[in-house]
Amino acid sequence: MEFLAGLGGGFAAILTPMNLMVLTIGLVLGMLVAVLPGLTLVRGVVLALPFTYKMGVGPALILLTAMYVAGTYGGAITAILFRIPGEPMDVPLLWDGYAMARKGEAALALGWALVAAFVAGVVSWAFMVALTQPLAAVALKLSTPEYFAVVAFGLASVVTLSGSSMVNALISLCLGLLIATVGIDAIYGAERFAFGLPFLQDGIEFLLVMVGAYGVGEVLTRMATGFAASGSTDAEGKPRFVTSFPRFVEVVKMKATFARGIITGLLVGVVPGAGATVSSFVAYGIENQYGKSARKLGEGAPEGIVAAKSAATASVGGAFVPLLAMGIPGSGATAIILAAFLLHGIQPGPQVFAKTPELVNLIFAAVLLATLGKCILGYFAIRPLCKVLEAPEAIISAFVVVFCFVGALAQRNSLPDLYVMSAFGLVGFLFERFKFPLAPLVLGTILGPIAENNFMTTMVSFDNDWTVFFTRPISASILALAILGLAWPVIKAAFAHFRKAPPGGQTQTP
Amino acid sequence: MRVIPHAVMLAVACWLYWLATRIDAETGGRISPAVWPKAIIVFMGLLCAYEIVKRLLVKSEFVAKGLVTSMESGEDKPGERFGMLFAGIGLIAAFIFTVPWIGFFLATAIFLAVFPWAGGLRKPVVCVAVSLVGTVVLAVVFLKVAYISLPLGEGPFRALSLGLLRVLGVT
Repeated sequence: MEFLAGLGGGFAAILTPMNLMVLTIGLVLGMLVAVLPGLTLVRGVVLALPFTYKMGVGPALILLTAMYVAGTYGGAITAILFRIPGEPMDVPLLWDGYAMARKGEAALALGWALVAAFVAGVVSWAFMVALTQPLAAVALKLSTPEYFAVVAFGLASVVTLSGSSMVNALISLCLGLLIATVGIDAIYGAERFAFGLPFLQDGIEFLLVMVGAYGVGEVLTRMATGFAASGSTDAEGKPRFVTSFPRFVEVVKMKATFARGIITGLLVGVVPGAGATVSSFVAYGIENQYGKSARKLGEGAPEGIVAAKSAATASVGGAFVPLLAMGIPGSGATAIILAAFLLHGIQPGPQVFAKTPELVNLIFAAVLLATLGKCILGYFAIRPLCKVLEAPEAIISAFVVVFCFVGALAQRNSLPDLYVMSAFGLVGFLFERFKFPLAPLVLGTILGPIAENNFMTTMVSFDNDWTVFFTRPISASILALAILGLAWPVIKAAFAHFRKAPPGGQTQTP
Repeated sequence: MRVIPHAVMLAVACWLYWLATRIDAETGGRISPAVWPKAIIVFMGLLCAYEIVKRLLVKSEFVAKGLVTSMESGEDKPGERFGMLFAGIGLIAAFIFTVPWIGFFLATAIFLAVFPWAGGLRKPVVCVAVSLVGTVVLAVVFLKVAYISLPLGEGPFRALSLGLLRVLGVT
């Protein structure tokens, strides 16, 4: 009863003119960044983060949450109508959504995407609300060794899911963890890697790393290959900017596809580091394997749209669970929302439920209202959203860079921050160029201090006995999972490598 | 050539380790604040060394990839335009080094006009219009909505920035 009252309080708090306006702005911005060429959801949320400094923590969280929720839908429209996936998560929609559009069923394809986004959004919201508090109660019982293990598991997941070379991902993570050590150490007050410079003694703000690497770095990467004049909207035939919903009976018939997509999205979303993109591809793969209409997939089957879109949407609810319950982000966008919490001096995790439960309830309310708002906006704003595609990428990129500058200056109006941010822009560009993934670098910078604090506190509390991490059952199990996660791609690659070699190792020929 | 990134990272790791050995703190027998960064640096150095050895000596095709590799786009990247890239880096550098003197608004107006041009948009009217409208809109958003304090510049440029603020009604 108390829980429901708290949840009701969250809705009451959000239903003020100011908060509703912030929610609407977040929805529109989220849709725009998902559609705009040269911007992605995570980059968009990163660029919005500096503008939340002067806001209260509530409106800041509403804005970023609304952007995150809306950003998982906008790209579906352009993927279906113009074969332009706004986000990597929308790529599976090209295979069936665009195929339906070519058959003259674009409106119905959009309808299926919207229904999937709505159903998965509401179900994953219920899952998030039901699971977060019990998980936080469990997390409250964890001690520092277990907490260190959980953070290590989160960092390992990011590396495991990195996509490119795991060695490069680990190097990127190490660099991120090292960046987090710059400045005055929290336990002894020792100066580390600061060279006596006052702005480095304060530490390197993770925001500067995020804004530089994702914002300026990505602009430089795109500039190196030449900006597009404008997003091409040459679809076959003139697309009609309308959505037509499937019949209720058709939706019910597809309940198994919905269930598979939603469960996949929730499970993948909960795993730290894996977000909407991974969910979308995995769900499409599962549908292709086990779906009734598996053979029709890729030729314009609504099942392909429902599987991918419901999983991508459900991953949002899943990703919020570890963030709110343990302070571990489940996706790139929730890492930025974690940053917003930290910027306002709040550490998400079990303590938030005890100290500021109204913030958790506010996020719960924001996710549900943003899901509803996203569907309304997705239905009515197709034409203006598609118009945005005509903006030249060079102009958008110029504004992105200016937003990065403001983001760097906004917190302390300090010029060294501007230099540091720009330097990380160059680092981001070089990382992209030499195939070092950025996500581990950024997550290492954010989670580094949490990992180090828990590690150091454990070592101090247990008389420098590092074996404690492996002798306590929970931390040992979580660390074993992390190590297994890291080792699995190596084992898989080694297995594939040796299977390719001819039997008997006769690889040399005279 | 293909080991340069990892060789640079290894050199950085060695330098950072040397710096870490100079971290000084009175710990009273407890764990030193240098342990955590040292452990990370050693791990990073080993990873770099492994990659260098693998690429130089073993020449193995063995690569442990992340679990989502199959999702990455296999499409060919277009040709690189280093001239455009260096122009972009130069413009960003020019912005950050001139902004303390000419102020945020003038620097932004110039940047918004020149950057799209350097990025290949050969429409001077569009570039100038975007620059002027964009600067005014950003000034309103940053100063009147988000209340962000931004550099106003020195001497006459400061007067110019203050004049713009007066026009916008920012006191």
